[in-house]
Amino acid sequence: MTIRNVRDHGQRYRPRMACLKKMEALVVEMQDPKSGVKSQTQRLVITTIPHAITGEDIVAWVANRFNIDAREAQSIGTLMVAFGYVYPLQDHKRLIIKADTSLYRFQTPYFWPAQQWPAEDTDYAIYLAKRNIRKKGVLELHEQEHYNNLHKWMNHKWDFIVMQAKEQYRAGKERKKPDRVVFDCQERAYWVVHRPPPGTISAIDYGLDRLTDPSADEVKKKKTMDYYRRIVIFTQQCIMRSRVKSSVSLGAIVKYITTCKNHDPFLATCLPSNPWLTDDTTYWELNMPNVEIPTKMRVERWTFGFRELLSDPRGRADFRLFLKKEFSGENLAFWETCEDLKWGAAATMKEKAQQIYKTFLAPGAPRWINIDGKTMDITVKGLVHPHRYVLDAAQTHIYMLMKKDSFGRYMKSTVFKETQKKAISPEEHRFSDAQLEQNAKKRKPNLSPIVLRQWEEEEKARLAASGPMDITQLCKFTAPVPHLAVYTGICEAQLSHGRERLPPSPSFPALPNSAACPSPISVAIDSTPASERKFEGQGGSAAAQFPSIAEVPLEPRVSASARAPDDPQPASQKSRVALSLGRFLRRGCGNASVLASLSPKCHSAMGGRVQPLSREPISQPQPKRIANFFQIKVDIPPECRIYPIDSEDEENECTSGVRGTVKEIICPWESITKQDQAG
Amino acid sequence: MAHMDAKAADEGSGGSQKLLEEVKALVETLNKVVACYHQLSSCVGGSTDSVQLRHELRQTRERAQQLALDSQRLLTARLRDRSLAPPTRLEAELLWVSFSSSLELFHADMCKVFSVGQNFPLSSKTGVLVQTGMQGETARVTARALSLTEPDLNVASASVDRLEQGELEAEKDRVDQMIEDMEKRVNVLRWTVEAQGPQYAEPVGTSSSLALLSMMQAEPEQHRCKRGQMFVAALVASLAAVALFCLSVYCI
Repeated sequence: MTIRNVRDHGQRYRPRMACLKKMEALVVEMQDPKSGVKSQTQRLVITTIPHAITGEDIVAWVANRFNIDAREAQSIGTLMVAFGYVYPLQDHKRLIIKADTSLYRFQTPYFWPAQQWPAEDTDYAIYLAKRNIRKKGVLELHEQEHYNNLHKWMNHKWDFIVMQAKEQYRAGKERKKPDRVVFDCQERAYWVVHRPPPGTISAIDYGLDRLTDPSADEVKKKKTMDYYRRIVIFTQQCIMRSRVKSSVSLGAIVKYITTCKNHDPFLATCLPSNPWLTDDTTYWELNMPNVEIPTKMRVERWTFGFRELLSDPRGRADFRLFLKKEFSGENLAFWETCEDLKWGAAATMKEKAQQIYKTFLAPGAPRWINIDGKTMDITVKGLVHPHRYVLDAAQTHIYMLMKKDSFGRYMKSTVFKETQKKAISPEEHRFSDAQLEQNAKKRKPNLSPIVLRQWEEEEKARLAASGPMDITQLCKFTAPVPHLAVYTGICEAQLSHGRERLPPSPSFPALPNSAACPSPISVAIDSTPASERKFEGQGGSAAAQFPSIAEVPLEPRVSASARAPDDPQPASQKSRVALSLGRFLRRGCGNASVLASLSPKCHSAMGGRVQPLSREPISQPQPKRIANFFQIKVDIPPECRIYPIDSEDEENECTSGVRGTVKEIICPWESITKQDQAG
Repeated sequence: MAHMDAKAADEGSGGSQKLLEEVKALVETLNKVVACYHQLSSCVGGSTDSVQLRHELRQTRERAQQLALDSQRLLTARLRDRSLAPPTRLEAELLWVSFSSSLELFHADMCKVFSVGQNFPLSSKTGVLVQTGMQGETARVTARALSLTEPDLNVASASVDRLEQGELEAEKDRVDQMIEDMEKRVNVLRWTVEAQGPQYAEPVGTSSSLALLSMMQAEPEQHRCKRGQMFVAALVASLAAVALFCLSVYCI
C-alpha cells in the first residue's frame, strides 16, 4: 500500500519533466495521416502487423519538420526512443534510432512516461511474474535479481502479485494473436525504458526526488494572510541574496579549465601513464603525498594558485621549508592548526582553541602571528564561547597574508626553483596490448589505509623532529619582527624514536611593547621550563606529545623507562638554559653571540627545536591536565592580559610558579599544584 | 483453522468461515476484473480506441466498483470483529492486502485512462489516434470481466464520450476515497502479513505469442534453423530407408 498523507519533509516527488509534454505533441503530429510519418506493415511468420515505421522515415520527417540537419534529427529521434514514445521492433534493448530500414512502432499512450506516475514496483513485479508464467526461466539475470529483491520487500503483496499476473495473462489471452504480440512488445518496451538493464544509460534518470509536487494545483491553495506574508519574505530574501553575473562565473570556469586542462589524466596524456587505463601504478607512486622528488606537472600545479600549493601535501611541505628559511613559519603553522580545529574531533575542540590562542594569538605568545586589531577583537570575543569556527576570521586573514605576500616570494625563491629543477618528468609508457593484459592480471589492491595513516604520522613526527634549527642562531632582536614566536622552540617528542622531548630553545617574545612590560619576559625566562611546556601545544594533539617527565601515564607511546633516565639531565640543562637566558634577557637587548652560544648548547644538549606545527592526530591530550598546565602563565601586566578564559587562575599561578620551577624536576602541573597549595 | 473455530463455541464460526470464503471469491473476481481493465486501458488513445472501447471500459469499471464495495463491506466487518481466531484473522488480513493492492492498481489505471482520455478525446473532429498496431476488438476481454459467456455486442452511442469523462473523474475520486477510508477503518499491519503462495507462479505452458516474439528477434536464424532441421530430417529419413532396404535385402 502506498502510504499517503505523510506530512513529513521527505522528498518524494519527481521533478517537472517539461520535455515530455513537448515530445508528446511531436508524436501526435507524427500520427497525422497526411503529413505524418508513413507507416508500413511488419510481416511476421504467420501474421502481419500494421503501423511499423522505419528509422530513416522518422529521421527524415523530424529533419523536415524542424528544418535541421540529419545528425540533429537523429539525436531527437534517439530521445524519442529513449523516453519510450517509440520502440524498436528488432534489437529492443538498445534504445537508439538507426537511420536505416530497421522498424519502429509507436507506443500506446497508456505506456507513455508521465511525470505524476513513476513506474511502480508492483507493476514491475507483476510483469516479471507474467513473463515467468509464460515460460519459466526466461528472465534475465538483472530481472531475476530484481524479482528476488521485490519478493523480499513486497512479500506481503506476493499472493496478490502472483494472482494478478495469472489473471492478466488470462485476460491477455482473450485477445487475438497479433494484438497479443503487439501488447507484449509494448509492455516489454515500457519496462526496458523504466527498468533499464545494468550498464545502460537511462533517459528517465532525473537525480533526486523533490520536496514539492510540481503537478500539484497551486490554484486550490487558499491565499491567506500567512501565505502572502511568506511570499513577501521569500522575495525579499531573494533580492538580498548576493548574485554573480553568469559571465563572471562562467569566466571562472573557463579559466579553470584552460589552466588545468593539461593536468587532467583523462583529457591529456598522463605521464607516465594513466593507471586507470593501463593498470600501471607508477603515476600514483610518483605522486604520493610524501614523495621526495615531485613530478614536473605537480610542481606546475603549485604555480596555479595558493590553494593548489596548500592542498598538495608535498607543496605544503616545500612552502613550509621556505617559510622556515624566512622565519615566518608560524603563519602556516597557525593556519594548519586552525584547519585541525575546524575538522577535528568535537571533544577536544575547546582545549584546542585555548591552546591555539595561547600559542599564537596572545600577546607574549611564543609564536605570535600578526593579525589586525579588529580581527583579534572578534577572535577574542568568540573565544569566550569557543566553537569550531571561532578562529575563522583570523585564519582567513592569515591565509590572505600568506597568499598575497609569502606565496609570491615563494614563487621567486630559491627553494622553489630548486624543487622545480629537481622535479622529474617521467617517460610515457607505451604498452603493447600484451603488456596491457599482463598489467591487468597483475593488479593488486591498494595499501591499507591504516598503513597509510601510520606513514602519515611518522612523517609528521619526523617533520617535528627536523624543525628549523637555524632560526635560533639568528638574532631577531635587532630586527624586531612581531612574528618572533617562531624561535620559541617547541620540541615534539620523537615518539617514533622514543626520544625524550627536548626542551625548546628559549622563547623570545619580542613584543613591540616589550620595553613597556619587561616583566613578562623576565618571568617568562624564569619560568622557561614551564613556559616551554606552554609552547608545546599546537592543537591538543601536539600537547599530547608533551612527554614531560611525569607525563608517563599520558603518553602511551613513549616508554616511560626510556624517558626516566633522561629526566634529570634535561631538567638541569633546562634550568641552566633558563638561568642563562634570564640573565641574558634581563640585559635588555639580545646579544647575538650569547644567543648563538646558547643555542648550540641547547641543541647539542637537548636538540632544541622550533616546534613546527605538526599535529599528532592519534594521541589525544588529557584535557584537564593540559588546562592545568597552561595555567602556568607568564605574569603579564593587566593591560596586556586579554585571556578570555581562565584569567582568574593566571594571577594565582604566576607569581608562585616563577620561583619553584627552575630547580625542580619539571612536572608543570604538579609543580603548579604544589605552589598552589603553598601559595 | 475450521476446527479451532468449531472448538470455540462460536455460533457463527461456520458462518464466518463461509463468509471468508465468500470474500475470497469476491476478491478473486475483483482481481480478474482489474486485470481485464488493465488490458483494456492499454488500448486507450491507440489505434483501436473507439467509443465502443470507452463503453467497455465503463462497464468493466462499474463491475469493479461494485465488487469493491461488496468486498470492502464484508472484509471490514470481518476484520473489525475482534473475536476472530488468529488463523482466520491472518487469512483475512491476507485478503485485505490483496484487496487493497488490487484497488490501488485499479485506481492507478483509472487515473491513467482519465488523463489519456483527456489528451485523446474521441468527440473532437480532428483528433488523431496513435498508430499502435492494434487491430482487433476487445469485446472478449470485457466479456471475461463481466463474466458473460457471450460478448455483449451492443454499440454505445457517440454522445456518451463527454459524459464518460466526467463520470470517470467522479468514480476515480470515489475509489480514492474508498482506499483512504479502508486504511482508516481497519488497522492491518502490512509487515506482519506473510504471503503463503509460491514465489514463482507456475508456468501455464508455452504461449505462441512468446514464440512469435522470439521469432521477431531471430527471424533469419529461424529460417536457417528450419532448413537445417529439414535437412537433418531428410538425412535421417534417407538413412532409415537405406537401413530398411539393407535389412530387407539381408532378410531375403
